[in-house]
Parts: sequence; C-alpha cells; structure tokens
Amino acid sequence: RILNSSSQLSSLPLQILFYVNGIYYIFYFLATLAMIVYKSQVFSYPDDFLAPDLAVLFLMAVLEVPRLYLGCKGNLREEEGALGLSLGLTVGSVVLSVYLLAWQTYVLWADVVLTAVLLCAYGLESGLKVTAIAAFVS
Amino acid sequence: ARLCVCDLLVAQCDVNCCCDADCSPQEFSLFTACSVPLVRGDSHLCRQKAAVYSLDVEANPPERTLQLIDQVNPSIFCIHATNYKQALYLRSPEMPTPENFDDLLNEFGSSAFSAEPENVDTDPPDANETQRYEYGLPIQTQDAFLRLPSPVVSSWCSDANPAGFLVNQATKCIRSVSVERCESIQALNMQFYINSSILAFVFQVNISVQSIAVQSLEGTRTALKGADGLRLPLVLDDLCLNVVLGVSYHITYTDTGEIIEAAAAFVLGAITKETLSVQQSFQISFTQVDTKPAPLSGNPGYVVGLPVRAGFGPRGYPFPAEFLTSRHSQLSILQSTPSQDCLAAQAARAPVLFGHNMISGCKLRITAAMKCQPLAQTLLDVLKGQSFPEYVASFGNSQAQDVLDWVPITHLHISEQGISNTLQSSCQIPVSFGIEVKWTKYGTLVNPQARIVNVTATLTTTTLQQLPSGRERTIPITSSVVFTDISSPAEPGYKAWPTINIKLPYDFFYPFV
Repeated sequence: RILNSSSQLSSLPLQILFYVNGIYYIFYFLATLAMIVYKSQVFSYPDDFLAPDLAVLFLMAVLEVPRLYLGCKGNLREEEGALGLSLGLTVGSVVLSVYLLAWQTYVLWADVVLTAVLLCAYGLESGLKVTAIAAFVS
Repeated sequence: ARLCVCDLLVAQCDVNCCCDADCSPQEFSLFTACSVPLVRGDSHLCRQKAAVYSLDVEANPPERTLQLIDQVNPSIFCIHATNYKQALYLRSPEMPTPENFDDLLNEFGSSAFSAEPENVDTDPPDANETQRYEYGLPIQTQDAFLRLPSPVVSSWCSDANPAGFLVNQATKCIRSVSVERCESIQALNMQFYINSSILAFVFQVNISVQSIAVQSLEGTRTALKGADGLRLPLVLDDLCLNVVLGVSYHITYTDTGEIIEAAAAFVLGAITKETLSVQQSFQISFTQVDTKPAPLSGNPGYVVGLPVRAGFGPRGYPFPAEFLTSRHSQLSILQSTPSQDCLAAQAARAPVLFGHNMISGCKLRITAAMKCQPLAQTLLDVLKGQSFPEYVASFGNSQAQDVLDWVPITHLHISEQGISNTLQSSCQIPVSFGIEVKWTKYGTLVNPQARIVNVTATLTTTTLQQLPSGRERTIPITSSVVFTDISSPAEPGYKAWPTINIKLPYDFFYPFV
C-alpha cells in the first residue's frame, strides 16, 4: 500500500497538534502550578479556595494523558472509536480550562494568556478530530 | 470613600486629606498639600480606575482637583480578575441578626478566630464530675455568689467576699449608716441577704428565714416568736427600725456535696439619728444532713481541755444504727460538793475534759438501817451518772456514722474482800470508780494528733459490813479520771549508708590473668 494523502485517512496536522499539545501542556501545568504557589505566598489564599483550584489543575493533568494517547492511537490506526473518546475527554478538558480562566480565585494576566492558548489548541484539535472521524467513518 | 486611607475621623474633615468626603471646599482651601495624591484599589490589579488629587495653590482660594485615570499594571503577574471577595478589600463586619448570630458566635466567639466556623470540639464537661460542691468553692447563687460581708483592709464591710462551701466563717465589719438613707441602703435590708436563691446544680435552694432576734438600743436581744416574714427597715420618728445587725447562715448539705437547705437567722436592731456606723456580724456554718451538729473537741486529734465525746453504741445487732450523741451521754465525773454528802440530792457532774486528770469524791454515811442493795444502786448512780455512755470517740471530730471511729468502754470490776468471804455472796457496794483513758499520738511527728485508744472504767466494790444498830460509819467514795499517754516513742530512721561501688573491670589484669 502506497502511503499518500489520497489513501491515507490519518490526519497529519492532527498528529502534529497532538505532539505540540503534549509538550505545551507540560509547560502549562508547571507554569500554572508555580503561579498558584506564587499566589498563595503573595495574596491571601485560604485553604478552602486553594483546594478546588489545585484539584482542577491535577484533574486536568490526569485527563490529558489518556486524551492524547487515545487521540494518537485513533488517528494512526484510523479508529473512530478512540478518536471519539478522545473528543469526549477534550470536552472535559475544555470545561476545566474555562474554570481556570474565569473562576479561579485569582486570575493573573499570565494565567489568561496561557489558558487562552491552551483553549485555542483544544478548539483546533476538536475541529480536526471531527474531520478525521468523518473521514474514517465514511 | 473606603479607599481613602487618610480619612480617619468620622464625619469630620481630616487635615490635608484631599480624598476626604467630609471636607467642604472652604476647608480644602486651607490645606497646604495633599497627603495622599493617588487613591486606588489594590496595586496588583491589572487595570483599575484611580483618583488623583492635587491641590491647585495658584488659584485663589486654593482648590482641590480630582482626576480619574486608568491605572495599568504592566507586570505579567497582575491580577486580571478575582473570585474571592475578601482578596482586595477589607470586609466590613456583618451586623449580627437573629439569623446569623449563631454562625457569628461560632466563628468569632472563641479566643482565636477561625476562617470557617468550626464546631466546638471541646468535650462538654462530664456531667457527673462538676455537679457538686467541693471544699472552698464559692457558693453560687442566682446573681453571683453568696456573700458574707467581711472587712477587707480596713474594718469597713466589703460585699465581695463569697462564702466557701464547708468553710465555717464568722466575720464582723462596720458599715456606715444614716437614718435618712436607711431604707435605701441595701445592706441594712433583710431582703438583700435572702433574695437570690442558691444554685445547687440540680435545683435552686431558697434561703429561708430561720429566726429573727430583735436587739434594742441598749443591746438586749429578744427572740421574736413566730417571725417568718420579712421585716424591712422602717423609719419612725428619729429611729430606723429593722436594721440588719447580724446574719447567721446555716447550710445543710449531703455527703455528695449537694446543698439541700439554707436558712438564715437575723438579728435586727435600730439606729438613731446620731449613729454614723453599725457593726454587722456574719456567720455561716455547714451541717451534714441527718446529723446533729455536735461541737468538735478537736480536728482531728483531741485538744486538751475540750470534753471527751461519748455516745451509745449501735443498737440491734446485726443492724447497726448510728451512734446517739446527745448531751445526756457526756462522759462525766462526779463533782465534789461542799457538803460532801453522797446521798444529797442531785450531785453535780463535771464533764471529763481531755488531758485533765480529775479526782473527786464524797463521803457516805452508813447507818445500820440502810439496806445494801438499794444503797449499792444509789452509789452506782452517783458514781457513774444517769446515763453512762458505752463508746468514746477516738478522734475529736469523729462522726456518729463512722462506727469504727468509736472505742468501747471496757468495764473492770474489782471487789475488795477478804479471802474468808469468798464463799459468801454478800452484797457489794461500789466505793471507787476510776476511768483510765489511754491515748496516743497519731500522725506526723511535727503535728501529732491525740487519739484515744482505750478507755477502761474500773469499779471497785467492797462488802458492806453490818453495823450494830445505832452506830454509823462514814466511808469515802472516790471517782477519778486519768489520762495516760501510751504513744510509743518515735523511732528515727536513717538513710542507708552510701556505698562505694568500685569494681575492677573484668580484664583489668589482662596479660596476667
């Protein structure tokens, strides 16, 4: 089988985006964690406000791993099931990052920038996944 | 307005405070400079409105100018938004309302404020433990404590002395009075002393009026019969009557530390116009329930000179009842009278005082006509008294219910008679009665207490010899009390001699051993 774009259904942009997303997410996670530590030192950050913020951040990290893995697998094997599951997990990640953007206790300007970039990546990913699923199914 | 940090005085203009809303333009014209030129919120915010105040000194009169600007924080770590209200502004305290009072009390009621209201985590006091009075605890009443006014520093009465439980106290103090104000001075009013009821944890005990004695201006006291009610101060001509001169509280308690009864006996008097001060005396005494208060002869050991306490033993073995200590069962000894006649009417008896050896006697005139048996009985009564007790208290404060604290009196009977008369069972008359009390020192070496260990009553009798008619004889009858100290001498104890613990190490002589 010759690998060319006509018979290959896997989306290359999506694959690139997965890699970039993975690397960016590691950076995002460490940066946000560092900023939460900074906020807790500089501002008044009581425990019952700190706990939800940290929980959301770690939950997002936990979700990210299967999301990217399933996405990669689904895309490479041209399986729409895995890709669909990854899309579902993306929705969850989007919700959590919206929380971090808007409902965190202290939203710093850096928070806004980083999370906005992440949301853009998620949005682009979701679009490409839908396209890929459509291609696989049909 | 909340952000103006120089606005310290409420509803008044602060000097040189350009952002103070209480200042009028005339007052602004008197300022020299603006102490706070820029008023804004938290400096960390990315974007906020700020007010810039400046004083235009060129104009006449000087006026304050206000300019609203947008302040931008260029830092990347500026706060874009916050969902936490208290982050940037001081929260003004909530006004307590019936709805949020409990929450506010939980949050701010303890010695340290908590961020979130927490449940009271101290255990509620154990219901069994603190529900009783202990020695020395102030007796609580509905308002504060049962007061026993006493002199503090000077002789003037101070009403702040609480009465302690089981602490028998008697105090005297002076109070300043005047006839005009005698109805309004609370401390002269009976009501003041019996007003609040005593809290006995389970229920409240009202203080009842036990008796009222009225003291006249000269000082004679008469007890008012059937006086139960309150007699309040009354101004009559130049006198003020029913002024409280003395209160004596009697509190009855149980052995579990509960107060079950309280009574007060009053002494009321009168004051004249010239009286500037009266002396009031107060007393409180505690009695255990179901016991008659007996005066103690020592606490706990006997005190020399106080009467030896005695009583009758429990009746009805094997159901021991309590000892009966009444005045009639005092240990007493015949008291010598000037007439020295044993058969004279009702010889007086003297109480046996601890530590005082006594000897007394009388002369018995025997005539031929006297019959032996009734004579012996009469003499026995004369020597022993009407009700000779069976038990003696071993400590000065032995309670009647503590059966083991009482020492039985051993009776010894010695009959003086010649050997030749042993076979005849002739009648014997008592001629001598001696009580020997053996006591010992008990307790510590520095504070020994006297404790009665043994009481022996020896009755010596002799045969009554028949007299030829017409003759009479006089024989002496004696009775005595002797106190013997049988305490064993204290033995000093020595500490062990210090030993020198030297042991050579095992392998000291290594190469050779």
